[in-house]
Formats: sequence, structure tokens, C-alpha cells
Amino acid sequence: MATVFERVKEVVVKQLKVSPDEVTPTANLVDDLRADSLDIVDLTIAIEEAFSEDAEFEIRDEDAENIHTVQDILDFLATQGLE
Amino acid sequence: MTRAFVTGLGAITPIGLTAHDFWENLVAGVSGAGTITRFDTTNMPVTIATEVKGFEAGNYMDSKGARRMSRFAQFAVAAAQLAADDAKLTLADDERRRAASAIATGSGGAIDTMEEVLVLNEKGPARVSPFYIPIMAPNMGACQVSMHLGLRGPALASVAACASGLYSYMEAKQLIDSGRADVVLAGGTEAALHPLPIAALANMKALSRRNDEPTRASRPFDRDRDGFVFGEGAVVMVIESEARAMARNAKIYAELAGGGLSCDAFHITAPREDGSGAEDAMREALDSAGLQPEDIDYIAAHGTGTPLNDVSETRAVKAAFGDHAYKLALSSPKSMVGHLLGGAGAVGALAAVLAVHHDIIPPTINLENPDPECDLDYTPLKSRSTQVRAAAANGFGFGGQNGSVIFRKYRP
Repeated sequence: MATVFERVKEVVVKQLKVSPDEVTPTANLVDDLRADSLDIVDLTIAIEEAFSEDAEFEIRDEDAENIHTVQDILDFLATQGLE
Repeated sequence: MTRAFVTGLGAITPIGLTAHDFWENLVAGVSGAGTITRFDTTNMPVTIATEVKGFEAGNYMDSKGARRMSRFAQFAVAAAQLAADDAKLTLADDERRRAASAIATGSGGAIDTMEEVLVLNEKGPARVSPFYIPIMAPNMGACQVSMHLGLRGPALASVAACASGLYSYMEAKQLIDSGRADVVLAGGTEAALHPLPIAALANMKALSRRNDEPTRASRPFDRDRDGFVFGEGAVVMVIESEARAMARNAKIYAELAGGGLSCDAFHITAPREDGSGAEDAMREALDSAGLQPEDIDYIAAHGTGTPLNDVSETRAVKAAFGDHAYKLALSSPKSMVGHLLGGAGAVGALAAVLAVHHDIIPPTINLENPDPECDLDYTPLKSRSTQVRAAAANGFGFGGQNGSVIFRKYRP
């Protein structure tokens, strides 16, 4: 069973078209992974989709404002009981 | 007024992913039609199309950029890159504001609308892609080409149904004639292969139902024609001012000599029976090119293979060209390429340019038993080598929009 980090990494690689090596917990989505504002919205939707069978949640705009790094995504998912 | 030259060719078509392969197959009479592979055709009245095969967007653009484009825009960017490479086009920073794009389409990213409506209905508004609008918008063929190649002059995107591609060449000519631009990436693109438009066009009786014989389905001017074959693809050419082309010693395929546009102002789908709207476009094209009917050796006909178009177009050619209509050669690229809708005019233009360049008339395949009402020389079945001093490309769209563009052999 893949870890939450591994599953997030898979989504980030697919959505942002970056190499898996670049997706570390400290990687900044904008500065390191070259995402723009549309990418981040798209990424949050993809994260919701990817974990929709594990938990019912929505990444609201105010949640998305606090997401800057891969670790921020993991921290958000932890608040939804996904660790 | 400066002259406008064609200096680069790019094509992503059902019969070739370069202008070179397109031409080889067009001259050889190779059909691009087959059973639809892109979606399940169960219960569809029409199960054939001319699909673009083996296209990988990542071969022409970065994969992240490609993900933010609809297939119609990917085709346009790929064809534009091929055309720019063919032309060995380089733009200094101070030239970019005088470099433009004119990329027409019939329906833009309509297929993305169809898919995203399903997301909205099934998963709710929160799941709708933030990229939907900039992916779907029909201006994105032009804008993505401008972004990809750094063209900072006008980006024009005519929507003129099946005449769309020809509008782009008119716009390119006007941009160069007026001195606004020195180089224009001009063409047309379409990628709308989806059950919805195919079902709608089938219900209109516009599409051939020869499902068991895909390569024999598109048969313009033939007695047994029963509609067109739905296709996808793009053609983009580099159109360059004489001064710029001369200064860099560019390869010149042909001169974009003139063109004409008109509207039938008559019916949403049917052409005027006497073809007088199309006739007006051809007459204007001749006038603007400063040519007489006798100067035209070839017409890349609209030639859809629908019962109405081919008769009406034949009448229009006779009206515009008089006795010379019986001496010049015509042919329909759609007999092989299928109908690329918003890309079709640009396919015809490319056939005209290459006929002028190579002195070869490509054939109309499947023209086995001519319709008695279609009694011109449509170059049936086999291509022909003959001098082509100048050639016209025709395109007529639903809504009554007509376009005709003339290319002539390069003269110093």
C-alpha cells in the first residue's frame, strides 16, 4: 500500500509535469515545481479526486491559501485523517 | 503594396504529419479514412472518419504546455513549429511586434466543453477544471501559436465554419499588404472528433454512411457520393513580406497573390443553388490577384462530396471562369484527407501551393462515375504532371461564408 506521500507525489508529478525526484516534502510548488495559480487550483482538485475514496473532504479556497509546499498538502491531508 | 510569399509549410493531417508526407500521399491518392478508433461507435450511424494518427504533442511542445491546450490548439502549435522550421524562421526581439498569427477554427475546443459538462453534472462545480476556459476558447489556436513562437503582433482567429482556413490567408495578406506585419503564421485547425458532432452531422445527412468501405466513402463529384467524411488536423504556413523574404534569401514556395470573401446571405446550411456566392468570392480573388480566368491552371475545390455542394460549386466555377472552366483542372483534397472543417480551407491552400511549386495536380480519388451535373475536369483517380502557373483554393461554410484564395508561381 502506497503511503500518502507517495500518492501525493504521483498526483503532483502528473499534474505539474515534473520529475519524481523534484517532489520532496520541502519542495515549494511555485518556486521549485514551477506551478502558477491555475496549476494550484487544478492540483487541489486532483488531490480531492485521488483521495475521494479514503475520505470525504474539500480543499476550500482558505485551505488552498495555506498550501505552498508538498508538506503543506500532507499536513492538510493529516487534518482529514489521512496519514 | 508589398507582395506576400509562402516561405514555410507545416501540416498535421490524416495523411501525413509533415507537409512533405501530406503531399506524397495526396499525389499518390492515399486515403486517410478508416473506422473511428478514438471512441466507441456502438449505435453511431456513422463509424468512419479521417483521424490524425501517431500524433504526440510532446514532440513539438513541452508536456505541461500541451496539457493546457485542447487538441485543436496542439495541432496548430505543432503545424506552426513545423512551418517555422521549414522556413528557417528566426525572429530578433525587435521583429516580434511585426510578427502575427492568423489561425482559424470551426469549433475550437468544443470537445472539451462536452467532457467538462459531464464533470459539472456528475461531480459538481468544485471539480470543474480551472483550465476549461483557456483550453476551450477558439482564439487559443492563434494565441498558443503566438505564445509558442513569440509573435507579438496581432493574433487573429476567424471562425467561418468550413471556409475558416481561407480567411486566415486573407488576413495574412491584408496584414502584409497594409505593412502591419512582415511575417504571419497562417492556417486553420480542427479537432472535434467526438460522438456529438458526428451524430449531429449524420442526422443532417451531411456525412457519408459508407461505413464498410471507409477509403471509398469520400467521393466528391461522383454520381454515388453520399456526404463527407469527418476529419481532424491542421495546416499552418509562413507568409512573409517580399522584403523580408528577399533580405534573408528565403526559400519561396509560391506567392499569395489574392483572395476573395463573400456570404451567400441565404440559408444556414445550403449553398445558393446557382453558386453565385461562391462565384463572387472567386471573381474577387482573380481581381485582387490581378489575374484573368485563363491564368488559373488548378483549383483545389471545396469538393465535400455532399450532393448539394459539388453541383453548386461546379456551377460557381463555370460562372466565374467561363469557357476556361472546362480547360483548367480541379480536384478535391477531401477525397483523401476528409473534411477538416475549420482546417479544410488551409488544407486546400496547401494543396494549391504545392501544386504550383511542383507542377503536379493531385487527384480526386473515388471519382469513378461522374455526376452528369459535374462535368468539369476533376482529375479523377490519378495525379497529373502539368504546368501550374497559378492555383486557387476554395472553401464554403455553413452560414454561407465563402472564401477563395489564389497562389501563383514565384516570379522575381
